[in-house]
Amino acid sequence: MAGAPHQNPTVGGTGKPAPPTHPLVRRVTIAVTILFLSVFIVVPVVNVFSQALSKGFDAYAGVFYAASPPEGAKLSPAERRKLSSDRSQAEKTWSSIRLTMGIAAVVVPLNIVFGLAAAWSVTKFRFKGRSLLITLIDLPFSVSPVIAGLIFVLLLGRSGVFGPWASNLTWPDPFSLHWRGFAQEWWPFAFTQSFTGIIFTPLAIALATIFVTFPFVARSLIPLMDSQGSDEEVAALSLGASGWRTFRTVTLPNVKWALLYGVILCTARVFGEFGAVSVVSGHTDANDTMPLRIEKLWNEYNNQAAFTVASLLALLAVVTLVVQVLVERKTGKAAMTEVEGVDMP
Amino acid sequence: MSIEVIGVSKTFNRFKALSNVNFKVETGELVSLLGPSGCGKTTLLRVIAGMEAADPGSGPILFDGHDVTGQEVGKRRIGFVFQSYALFKHMSVFENVAFGLRARPWRQRPREAEIRAKVGELLQLVQLQNFAQRYPSQLSGGQRQRVALARALAVEPSVLLLDEPFGALDATVRRELRRWLRKLHSKIHVTTILVTHDQEEALEVSDRVAVMNEGRIEQFASPETIYDNPANPFVFKFLGSYNLFHGRKPNGSTAVAASPSSANGVTFVRPHDVEIRRENSDGSGIAAKISHIAFAGSSVNVELARIDDQAVVDAALSMHAYKDLGLKPDDKVFIRLRNTRSFDDDYVI
Repeated sequence: MAGAPHQNPTVGGTGKPAPPTHPLVRRVTIAVTILFLSVFIVVPVVNVFSQALSKGFDAYAGVFYAASPPEGAKLSPAERRKLSSDRSQAEKTWSSIRLTMGIAAVVVPLNIVFGLAAAWSVTKFRFKGRSLLITLIDLPFSVSPVIAGLIFVLLLGRSGVFGPWASNLTWPDPFSLHWRGFAQEWWPFAFTQSFTGIIFTPLAIALATIFVTFPFVARSLIPLMDSQGSDEEVAALSLGASGWRTFRTVTLPNVKWALLYGVILCTARVFGEFGAVSVVSGHTDANDTMPLRIEKLWNEYNNQAAFTVASLLALLAVVTLVVQVLVERKTGKAAMTEVEGVDMP
Repeated sequence: MSIEVIGVSKTFNRFKALSNVNFKVETGELVSLLGPSGCGKTTLLRVIAGMEAADPGSGPILFDGHDVTGQEVGKRRIGFVFQSYALFKHMSVFENVAFGLRARPWRQRPREAEIRAKVGELLQLVQLQNFAQRYPSQLSGGQRQRVALARALAVEPSVLLLDEPFGALDATVRRELRRWLRKLHSKIHVTTILVTHDQEEALEVSDRVAVMNEGRIEQFASPETIYDNPANPFVFKFLGSYNLFHGRKPNGSTAVAASPSSANGVTFVRPHDVEIRRENSDGSGIAAKISHIAFAGSSVNVELARIDDQAVVDAALSMHAYKDLGLKPDDKVFIRLRNTRSFDDDYVI
């Protein structure tokens, strides 16, 4: 086949014998790898979970649900204060989880659209400035996230270039969308709350997150689409298929695993992004994403709660990892059948 | 459907891929575009298909006299077969062939039963009826190429464009498919243009051959004419191995001036038109010494050096003639040339 199959380094090792090396070399390199991974991944992850559960499972659950006292129990003023404080902390934690999910729900689909468009344009067409465009797509990888956040503050903040326009912009809070009924207008939904300005609102968080995460989808698609070329698309067009049909039935199935892989990487980064988000969030409780919430709990000397929220992020990372391995196995298999096909007479 | 290309040029970044090409294919013909790589033959095919736009200022492309220059690829009713097959990897053979039928706007889309019947018929035509549920990766190269052909034929194209269709296959499969394509063409009679760099393929399959070089058509004629009456040295050279003699001579005679010659011009002769004799009975032979003998299956290639100027001459003998003569290396023999072709020297390749 003309297109080189999308070889995956993690599964591509079959059929090639290992180069002859001294057994000691093998042992040492494996030992170094394991040691490194233990120190930098296994130990911290285990620590996160052990710290989170250090005060027992009830305390772990208490971070999300403040334990209610038995019905009719008499509470001392101190106990009452503690209960209300626990409740407000739990509510803040939930708010951070909701915001993180909301940001992901907005940012990931946008990145899919952008990633597909970018990968399509740089792989299927040859034009002036194409390599510059590829470099620009990679830019967020080389820019510190804090700088990325600062760029938005400088652009959209009060004294920024677009400051006057941005600080007067009013936009509805999507979380406040409510059923209103048909009594007032034909449109039965309404927003009950709105934001003014962009910087220090969830919109700024979404913008900063998009900046930091947009290379992931494009980057995982470009090598594959580059190697596949555009013969299949041209063939589909010559058979009378529309552009949309060609994209849906030919291009998308060919890249779906790479796309999913990019989406996973992108999602993981959206959940975990700290620097850029920290700069544009304004540090109000309502604008806390999960990483920002962890920082606040930590600063309040509430270590157990901080680690509990962190354990949630770690869990998300583990889920991401598992899906990633499954996807890699899947794409690896696809690549293998491709390779088999080449050898057939 | 007849296809006419009038004054078409195409430039890629200052590289002239086609320069003012004029070319007409009659309805039902099978025509080959033959030339070395980079001669513009694939570009011409893609321009006809509408996958490449000709330079502004080029003449029109006419299908049956209608200008299709501005028409999109999908509207031209062409069947295009790629060298890389470009099969849809994630679809079965059946779905690949059915693609063009399913892609029609829904008013014109045939019903599922009709699609099944049509695809079955096409798979029968390309002798792959038992492979409908296979995937492209489970097929051999020749089978993939036939699927690509069936897929192109499914949309009932009025013209079939084949871009090096057998380029990626080994020699035996190529020969088989070539013969099969010839038979298929005589059965369905759709106007076909085939791009190839293989002279044998072009001569065997086509009704007419267009030999291309550097973006121009050097000669467009029947295979016999191309082979027996090449228009210029390029065509002669491209169609097979040859011997080159400096000096011009009347066509058909056997005497060739020894080089360096006063007469300007070049004379070509094919190795199988070099006759080897032991005696120089009529005095017209050129004395030569055998330097090397190589067997090539049904024939024997003999490399000779002329006694007078040491120029190398290749001769191809039948096994029969070779045995009769009992040739050995370093034997002194006389050669006579048949069917020589002379051209003026000012032709630059």
